Amino acid sequence: MRLADARAMHPSLACVASDPQAEAETLGAIADWCRSFTPLVALDPPDGLVLDVTGAAHLFGGEAKLLALIEARLEARGFSARAAIGSTPEAAWASARFGELRILEPDLDEKELARRLGPLPLAALRLDRAVLAGLARAGLRRISDIVLRPRAPIVARFGPALHDRLDGLLGRAATPISPRFEAPLYLAERRFADFILRREAIEATILSLARDLCTMLARHGEGARRLEASLFRVDGLVRRLEVGTSRPLRDPGLVARLLCERIDAAGTDGEALDPGYGFDVIRLAALAVERKDAEQTSAIEPVDEAADLADLVDRLGARLGMRRVTRLAFDARHVPEFAVAAVPAAASRPAAVARKRPARKDRARASAVEPRDTEKPSLAALPSRPIRLLHHPEPIETIASVPDGPPVRFRWRKVLHEVAAIEGPERIAPEWWRAERAATRDYFRAEDTEGHRFWLFREGLYGRETACPRWFMHGLFA
Amino acid sequence: MSQSGTSAGIGFLRERIAALEGRGAATSRATRPRVSFGEGSSLDRLLGGGLARGALHEIVPGRPGDAVAASGFAAALSARFALEHFPANRASVRVAKMRQNKEVELLSDSPGSDSAPKAAPIVWILEDGVRREWGTPYGPGLRLHGLDPARLVLVHARDVRESLWCLEEAVKCRAPAAVVAELWTLEKAYDLGASRRLVLAARESGTPALLVASRLARGADRLSSAATTRFEILSAAGSRLAPAGRGPPLPGLASWSVRIVKARTGPGGCGLDREKDLAVTWDHEKACFRDALPLALPALPRDRPDRPAKARRGLARIA
Repeated sequence: MRLADARAMHPSLACVASDPQAEAETLGAIADWCRSFTPLVALDPPDGLVLDVTGAAHLFGGEAKLLALIEARLEARGFSARAAIGSTPEAAWASARFGELRILEPDLDEKELARRLGPLPLAALRLDRAVLAGLARAGLRRISDIVLRPRAPIVARFGPALHDRLDGLLGRAATPISPRFEAPLYLAERRFADFILRREAIEATILSLARDLCTMLARHGEGARRLEASLFRVDGLVRRLEVGTSRPLRDPGLVARLLCERIDAAGTDGEALDPGYGFDVIRLAALAVERKDAEQTSAIEPVDEAADLADLVDRLGARLGMRRVTRLAFDARHVPEFAVAAVPAAASRPAAVARKRPARKDRARASAVEPRDTEKPSLAALPSRPIRLLHHPEPIETIASVPDGPPVRFRWRKVLHEVAAIEGPERIAPEWWRAERAATRDYFRAEDTEGHRFWLFREGLYGRETACPRWFMHGLFA
Repeated sequence: MSQSGTSAGIGFLRERIAALEGRGAATSRATRPRVSFGEGSSLDRLLGGGLARGALHEIVPGRPGDAVAASGFAAALSARFALEHFPANRASVRVAKMRQNKEVELLSDSPGSDSAPKAAPIVWILEDGVRREWGTPYGPGLRLHGLDPARLVLVHARDVRESLWCLEEAVKCRAPAAVVAELWTLEKAYDLGASRRLVLAARESGTPALLVASRLARGADRLSSAATTRFEILSAAGSRLAPAGRGPPLPGLASWSVRIVKARTGPGGCGLDREKDLAVTWDHEKACFRDALPLALPALPRDRPDRPAKARRGLARIA
C-alpha cells in the first residue's frame, strides 16, 4: 500500500521517515540499559535483544517477575516490548514474537517443546522470505508440519538452514549468542532505591565499590588491568567509563582515583558526565585481570619508584587516553622512520625488561640501528641522528653546485637557509626485501649560517634511479 | 640608622621570606644539592653551583626557528638531571646509609639495584601543536645525544591546559628524574598562578620541571611567572670541523648561545648579566655542558713577536 492510499484511508496517520541508524543506536542504548539485568546482552538487529539470564533471574524474584519488570520498565520509557524466556535463544525469539506462552520452563524435553511450539507459524523459525514462500506453496505452514517429516527431502529442497533453526529451537543444537560486551570477570554493583546525583556521592560509591572489587581480587590473588565503571541513569542512558592500568592493580584508593580521573577527562572531552535525574545503578567491573601476588610491605617507608611511575602513567592515561602515554620501542630496521615506534607505556615495561634482560641481546638489537653504540666512541663521532624527526619528510627546494653534490642553499617552509657546514652523504638503501618500491636516500647533516642543524636527504640516486632527485627535510638537530 | 643596621635588617627579612617560601638556607643548599652543568662550566658559576632540582626552569627559544634548539637544551638538561638522579626520599637515604655500613648486604634485592637510579624515567610531555610543527623526539638521536631513550615516557597532550595538568601530575611524582613539557602556546593558561603551583609541586617532590615555550620566541623578557630560572636559547654555530678534502666544513657539536633571563638563586650566583649571551656546547659522550671556547685562541705571549704588527710592517717597509 502506498502512503497516499494509507493517508486517504486514515487522514490522521502520523508519518515518520525511517532512520535505520538512529534505530540501531536506540537499540544499542536499550541493550546497555539491559545490562543492569544481566551482563550478557546481545543485539538482535533490527528490533530485538537477547539476554542471557542464566543464574540472574532469581535476583529479581524469578523469571516471571523479571519479564514483567523488563516489560514494565521499557513501557515506562515509551517502548512497547514483548519479552519471553526460553531454554534456547530461538525458542525465546519464537515465543516472544509469535507465541502465547511467555515462559518456557527450563526442564521441558524436546517432545514437550515441539508440542508447545508446534502451533507457531514457520515464520517463527526466522527463515528467508523465499524459503517461507516455498514452504507455503508446499502446504507447510506451522512448525508442527515439519517436525515429524523426514529431514532429507526438506534439506534437499530448502537448504540446511531450516533444520538448523529447528534444531536450535528444540534444543537439539546449542547456538551461541554474541554478547555486546564480554562478561566481566569480577563485578561489584550498587543499586539505589533513591537515585544519586551529586559528584561526591558518585565518587564515594565508586570508592566503596572499588573496596568490594579489590577484596574479591585479593581473594583470588589477582589484580585488575582493565576496569570499567558503568553508570545507569534513571532515564535509561548508560555511561561506561573504561580505564586501563600499567600493572595489576588491587588498591581501592588507586582504582577509585583512576576512575574519578576518567570522569574528569570525560568532562573536558565535551561529553561530560551528566547525571540528569540521577543514577540508580553504579557498577564496577574488572574486565581483564592478571596474577598479582601479595606484596611485602616494608617497615621503613616504601621506596617503590617503579610503582610510583606506573601510577603516574595510569593517571595520565586515564585522562588523556592510554595511547597518548607512550614509550619508544626500537625496531631492527634501518629506515629512519621505522627504527623506532611509540608503544603505549601501559602495555610495555621496557625499563623493567632492560634491567632483567642480559645486556648483550639489547646491545645486539641496538647495534642494528646504531653500530657505533657498541664500540668505544671516538671523540670525533658526532651524533649522526637528529633529536627530532618530522612526521613526514618535507620537500625542500635546493641549489647544489653539482647534480649529485650537497646543497649550497635550500628553502624550507619558505625560509632560505645558507649552508655553512655540511657532512654527508650517509647512504640508506631501501628495504628491497619488502614489496614496496622506494628509492635510495642520501642523508646529509647540514648547518646553516645561523647555527640551525638539519638532516636532509636526497631521494633517488642521480642517473641510476632518477633523473632529477628530490630533496627532503627529515629531522632537526639540537 | 647606620649602614650595617640596615643590611642586618634586610638580611633578617630575607631570611624570614626564605623561611616562609620554604627555601631557607638550611633546606635549600644543604639537603637539595644542585645539579651541575658540567665540570668547570660557567653556567654553574653564574647560577650558584648549578640548577636546583625541585624547581621550575623555563626554556624559551630566542628566534622562531630555535624551538628545536630549546628542546635540545631541555633534553640535555634532563640528561644531566638523570645522571645525578638519586631517590630523594628519606627511606632510600637510610637504605643507602645501611648499605654503606654493609649491614644489609643480604637484604639488597639484586646487584642491579645500584644502577636503579640510572634507569629513572624522564617524562616528556609534547603538545600536539609542537609535534605537528617540529616532529617527535627521535629515539636513536636522543641516544646519541646522551639521553637514554628507554627511560623516556612520551606523553602527547592535546592542548596547553592538558600539558600543564600532565606537567603538574608528573612533577608531583617522585620517580621521574626530570619532567619536560613542550608547550605550543602559553596563552591564558600559563600565568603566575599556574607556575606557582608547578614550583610548589616541584619543591614538594624534588622533581625538576623543565618547561619549553616553543612559540614564545623573543618573549622571554615579557613572560611573568614564578619560575626559578629562565633561559633564552639561540642555536649557535658550533665549532666546525675541517673537512678531509676540499669543500665546506663539517658541522660540529651541538651548541647553543644561552642567555639567563631570570635566576632566583639568591646570593649564591655571581656575575649574572641578563644581557650576556653565553656560548655552551653539549658533550654528548660525557653528557655534560662545556663552555664553547673560541677556537682561534690567541697565541701565547712568548710566541709573539716583541713588536706589534703595525710596527713590523713599518720595519719591513724600511728594509
